[in-house]
This record gives sequence, C-alpha cells and structure tokens, in this order.
Amino acid sequence: MAFSEEELAAQVGRRFPGGTYTIEPWRAWLVADAVLAEPPPVQKAAGEVAHPLFAWIAATGAMGIGWDELFSWFGATAADGPVFGEHETTLHRPLRIGATYRVSGRVVSAERKVGRRTGPFDVVGYELDLHLDPDGTHVARCWNSIVFPRRTT
Amino acid sequence: MKVGTELPVWEVGSVSAEKMKTTAALLADPTPIHFDVDAVRALGMGDRPVNQGPLNMGYVMNAVTAWAGGPDRLRRLRVRFRGPVFAGDRVRVRGTVTAVREEDGVRLADCDVALEVDGGEPAVTGTATVVLP
Repeated sequence: MAFSEEELAAQVGRRFPGGTYTIEPWRAWLVADAVLAEPPPVQKAAGEVAHPLFAWIAATGAMGIGWDELFSWFGATAADGPVFGEHETTLHRPLRIGATYRVSGRVVSAERKVGRRTGPFDVVGYELDLHLDPDGTHVARCWNSIVFPRRTT
Repeated sequence: MKVGTELPVWEVGSVSAEKMKTTAALLADPTPIHFDVDAVRALGMGDRPVNQGPLNMGYVMNAVTAWAGGPDRLRRLRVRFRGPVFAGDRVRVRGTVTAVREEDGVRLADCDVALEVDGGEPAVTGTATVVLP
C-alpha cells in the first residue's frame, strides 16, 4: 500500500494552521438555499442566527488548508473518493451572520481497517474549535472523521 | 413533550444535483463525485452525483430545529454517514425524543435521528440535543 500505517499514525497530533471565517450574508443565503432551509434576507441578515451547518463550514473553511492538502496529508487525492465517516457539532451558542470566528484544531486519530466488502481503508479523526473573534468566546467544536478508501495494494 | 414523541417528518422529494454544484463551489470541495458523473462511474457508484455529507447532515439539522423552534435551538448533533444519497433520491428525516431533561436551568430534548432514503437503508443516523421553548 502506498501510504503506510506508520505514515498514517505520524499524522496524529498534527495541527491545522487555522484562520478566521466570517459568515457573510450572501454566503448565509446560498448555504441555506442549498440545504433547503429558509434563506435569510441578505439585506437584513447581519446579526441573525446562521444555519447551524455553518459550524462545520466555518471550521473547515478556516482550518488553514484546502481539502486537497488535507487529503495529501494522508497520501490521497479527491479522486480516491474520500468520504465522511462521522461528525459531531457541539454549539455553545448560536452562530451569527456577520460574525467572525477564529478556527484552530488538530488531527486526533488515524486508524487502518479492513472491511469484508470494501477492503482496506483509513479512518482519520480531526477536531476544530471556533472562537468568536476578537473576544475569544468558545462558540463551537466540530469533530469529524474522514474515510479514505485504499484500493491499491 | 415526552419520551417517545415523534418529530414531524421532514422530506426532500428529489435531491437536486444543482444544489450539489452550488455546495461544491461554496465549500471549495474538489471531490468530483458531487458534480462529475464520469467520476461517479469510475468509482463504480452508478451514474448519479452523490450528495455532500454536509447537505445530508443539514437536512437533519433542519428537521430538529424546525421542530424545536428555530436554528438557534441546536446544542449538539452527532451523526454517522452510513451510505450515499444520490441526485433524484427521495429522502426524509425522522426523529424520536429519547430524553427530556434540564441542564443549568435550560430544558433540553435528546432525540434519535435518521435520514432515510426511499427504498433504501438510512443514509445518516445519529443523535441530536435541542433547547426546548
């Protein structure tokens, strides 16, 4: 297998560069529309509660690297078909349209498994925290796992 | 409100491939199975685009927050992505209250939730906690 279990394990603890994410009104409208929720009027959206999916969107949008780079940490590309495994959002307070959030996080687990039907695959867990910028209030935590199929031998 | 209460069913009549394209752009998600049918075929997954996991999760959020009174009501959602949802699928979210409790003076409801695909297995299962009015 091209990406060894040792290389996989070595990624645990790796920190994301992080960054900041602002829930822009236009983006809040488009996300709500895409997820089939009621879009907030763009002109009056500032300060309104954002769709809770923004916890994940903001976290991954400002983790400091793109999806291609995250996949490359695990020797994979988007064409390999990585998929979500599990997710947990914990919201300490609602996210607000117009607010800016500081994102930080790290890889928390990585494990190789073999499925009877699927063959070998890797399950990678990572966790991202959102703090309101600039006051630092902890607003949300997202824990996620990605499943990387390992079809080549 | 009691344990065993079923949430109103939240349904999508036909999952839209166009919403997947918008979502791929919004998320800067390069995974081609969400918009390129050739990529779906190459992975042996059929000939319809695969809905993004976050959209499936978002449907579940819609269902529980609509029932609880608004998008500010969600405290926690934990889900497992069990299978794909394809463009054109009819899906519905079901939920059942498993506990009603109070925490720091706030009434909370815990729920089991599932996103079901018409004619198939649940695509998403999990638990949600919402603040009650």
